[in-house]
Amino acid sequence: MSENKTHKIHFLPHDIYVDIEEGNTVLDAAHSANIYINSICGGDGICGKCKVVLSKGKVDAPPTTLISSEESENDYILACEAKIIEDLQILVPKETRLEGKKILLDQHEQHSLTWAAVLDKSHFTHNPLTKKLFLTMEAPTMDDNIADHERLCQAIMMDQGVELNVIQTDISILKKLPGIMRQGNWSVTVTVAHRGPVLEVVEIETGDTTQNNYGIAIDIGTTTVVTCLMELTSSKVIDSEAVYNSQMKFGEDYIQRIIYAIQNDFLNEMQKTIVSDINKTIHTLVKRHEIDLNNITSVVCAGNTAMIHFLLCLDPENIRKEPYIPTANFVSPFRATQIGIDINPRCILYALPSVSAYVGADITSGAAAIRLDKEELNCLFIDIGTNGEIVLGNKDWMVCCSASAGPAFEGSGVRHGMRAAKGAVEIIHITRDYEVSYSTIGNVKPKGICGSGLLDCIAEMLRCGIVDRSGNFQQDIKSERLRKKGDEYEFVLIEKEKSGIETDIVITQADISNLVRSKGAIYAALSILIESMGLSINDVSLLYLAGGFGNYLNVRNAITIGMLPDMPTSRIKFVGNTSLIGAKMALISKEAFETVHNIASQMTYFDLMGNPKYMEAFMSANFLPHTNLSEFPSVVEELSS
Amino acid sequence: MQIASIEEKWAGAVKEVTIGATKESGGTRESVVTVGGARCIPFMDFDGDQGNRPVIAMDVYDLPPENLPEPLLKHYKDVMNDPASWAKKCAEEYGADLICLKLDGIHPDKGNRSSNDAIKTVKSILEAVSIPLIIWGCENDERDNEVMPKVSQAAAGEKCLLGVATQENYKTITAVCLADGHNLITQAPVDINIGKQVNILVTDLGFPLDRIVMFQTTGALGYGIEYCYSIHERGRVAALSGDGQMSTPVICDVGHEAWRAKEAKATDEEAPQWGSFAERGIMWETITATTLLQSGVDIIRMYHPKAVSIVKDHIDQLAMKV
Repeated sequence: MSENKTHKIHFLPHDIYVDIEEGNTVLDAAHSANIYINSICGGDGICGKCKVVLSKGKVDAPPTTLISSEESENDYILACEAKIIEDLQILVPKETRLEGKKILLDQHEQHSLTWAAVLDKSHFTHNPLTKKLFLTMEAPTMDDNIADHERLCQAIMMDQGVELNVIQTDISILKKLPGIMRQGNWSVTVTVAHRGPVLEVVEIETGDTTQNNYGIAIDIGTTTVVTCLMELTSSKVIDSEAVYNSQMKFGEDYIQRIIYAIQNDFLNEMQKTIVSDINKTIHTLVKRHEIDLNNITSVVCAGNTAMIHFLLCLDPENIRKEPYIPTANFVSPFRATQIGIDINPRCILYALPSVSAYVGADITSGAAAIRLDKEELNCLFIDIGTNGEIVLGNKDWMVCCSASAGPAFEGSGVRHGMRAAKGAVEIIHITRDYEVSYSTIGNVKPKGICGSGLLDCIAEMLRCGIVDRSGNFQQDIKSERLRKKGDEYEFVLIEKEKSGIETDIVITQADISNLVRSKGAIYAALSILIESMGLSINDVSLLYLAGGFGNYLNVRNAITIGMLPDMPTSRIKFVGNTSLIGAKMALISKEAFETVHNIASQMTYFDLMGNPKYMEAFMSANFLPHTNLSEFPSVVEELSS
Repeated sequence: MQIASIEEKWAGAVKEVTIGATKESGGTRESVVTVGGARCIPFMDFDGDQGNRPVIAMDVYDLPPENLPEPLLKHYKDVMNDPASWAKKCAEEYGADLICLKLDGIHPDKGNRSSNDAIKTVKSILEAVSIPLIIWGCENDERDNEVMPKVSQAAAGEKCLLGVATQENYKTITAVCLADGHNLITQAPVDINIGKQVNILVTDLGFPLDRIVMFQTTGALGYGIEYCYSIHERGRVAALSGDGQMSTPVICDVGHEAWRAKEAKATDEEAPQWGSFAERGIMWETITATTLLQSGVDIIRMYHPKAVSIVKDHIDQLAMKV
């Protein structure tokens, strides 16, 4: 047996070389070179998103229908199917690349005033999980001869009004205690962190450093990781930073990632990947604002159950297997360095609690952010991601469910879908003459369409009669934008000349079917949840819609396509990334942190997968707006006028 | 002791659809057929008005069907090559309420007959019989969209029942039925939601709901009749509960489906243990029809004259007309 040969792969336009063993795929090579290539199916050769151009060399690739003859002539191949047999040069085209890792953040995050307003409305008082206290003590004498540690504890007790027996100090702090107390002439700054009933002394310094106290709030999304740097002496947001979740190279949805982790024994690597994403954002933020990492004293993390498992390197396998059991919903605070996060090595990471395998800390955090626990009347809280999570309830009770909506509204499974990033079309209008106007995030040339744009697109096409209520293209409309490519009809939204990629931006019949199914799953789930509580939509006073659609969401269009129930738009509030908002609140308010925990223990999980009515409800929701028109009177009126 | 009434009162009703037009109303039929109108579960006349009694449409093909089992062939071999005589026989000898002309011959795989051929067949049947006509396309979308408009126009004014409109292909046939004053069959694959959706799609085009008859496709005894039964039943309960989009009468295709079953087709030599070949198919068709009658159907397409006469008797008895 001969030893495996290795070959050199040259990636353009990155100009990165990587050596890889023969027989690996081009996608494998890209992974090892840390080059991002779109791949929804995680390398199964079914999504067709990983198209690259073979500019030099030959590969061993099976024939595929995912590459058109036109593309084939231009040397397009599927990176996941192409086995390496010699040295290659690969050009990663724009639509396959992840460009400019920066995501334009939601206005809520960027605008401190808005954050202040949200915080103000929440009525959480400022009381951060970790505090720096400047304490001045009497120097010991022969008459006042208590030990240094007890002297410090007494000072903390006096300052914080806590019992002595809740204060704990690690031996490593005790070791440096005598030196620092004397060096500081009995005036020191201690950092104390809440750990359940315990108040732990996690750091001690000379002098008054109380003004240098910062915290990090993180939302670990399946797709994006958003990190927010906050000043803990106030509730001020200093800055935010977002990156794509690098785990995407292991599969775009978390079920695929769990399978990948288990099958390849890759859990540790995947944990490192997410930690490295987090560290990168933290480093960017501290560098930009010239903050000492040692002054970051706490981290609060929100995210779905699987992401929290990956972060903590907990076995995620049972999440995807019946009866869907997470390793832990509630995780006690621990030192951030234990999982490799770069902040003050003694300081604490707080992972927010989940409810079940499919209702995670993003939901508990979000429910706290909108103060569902204070609502007198019934409210509906919907967070749309790869799974659509829905909470129904008020201050007395909450039930939640999860609908596998699929990632269509996050831009996956849609030909020109993309995440809400720079260059994403987020608003679309179509006139009666089938002319399209649009705006993109960042006001650059469009590269694709994000959730809010896709939602607009379906609603506008329905209004103009480009599609019928089944979502089928009306082939008799007089517009060159509607054309047949292969066996499938598609509608050109943005011509090649105007787009920021090398092709027309289109929406296909299959895209529409995906989006209709996705909205159908959400509506079916919310209607069953409401019905199972013996209520009707009229009993819902407010609907909060959260998710990463874009910066802007046309709520009316969400009703027109039948994703949200027919109710006055004044009763619907688009609240953006509530997962992050909740994490920020928990960071600066112990009360908020406890509220998230109370919500998590209060919430009842309602399983839709085992509900016999779900399929029926889903089927009748697979229509625009719905098969039961009586549920959408305002849309019937709108469409008939 | 007083016994509590167990009468069920329903809020809704099945819409009435009239097929065929007499001279006075612009056609040439001597009689018309009105179906629907029920305000209660089938044959539960103590609950409410049963509406119009279910009717039998007998199938006639524009080209001779292949491999017709002997018990059927016996009755039709003399007329198989002439749809007009075939229709006449069904109407005059076998007591059909309607004729259902199946235009299989226009299918590209079955003869690819021209629109003119189809028009000729339709006209000859209209001349031969005085009862109303159902005209059913070949279910190849492209051919149906080509031929059905012309056939529809040729029969304009006769208030025929034309089919079928599906979720994927409904515009052309809906438009011509609207223009030529016909009734329309909307088809769904044993699916309440899709059935309703097709009705919404065609009514969106301005087609009146009281000219629609729904077809959920049919499974014969032993070949999925349970699915069919429960879909019809659910549809009927929805209609009676006031769901407007489900309130149209229902047609089913019993003859074709029953005679496809091996139990109907197997000869005495092939299946000696199954009882008489001469009777078996008739029974298969009869049981399929009488079962579906209970689920709430208004028009039954049938093949065999004996089965037709048994089912008609059965309807009379259930409707207490004897």
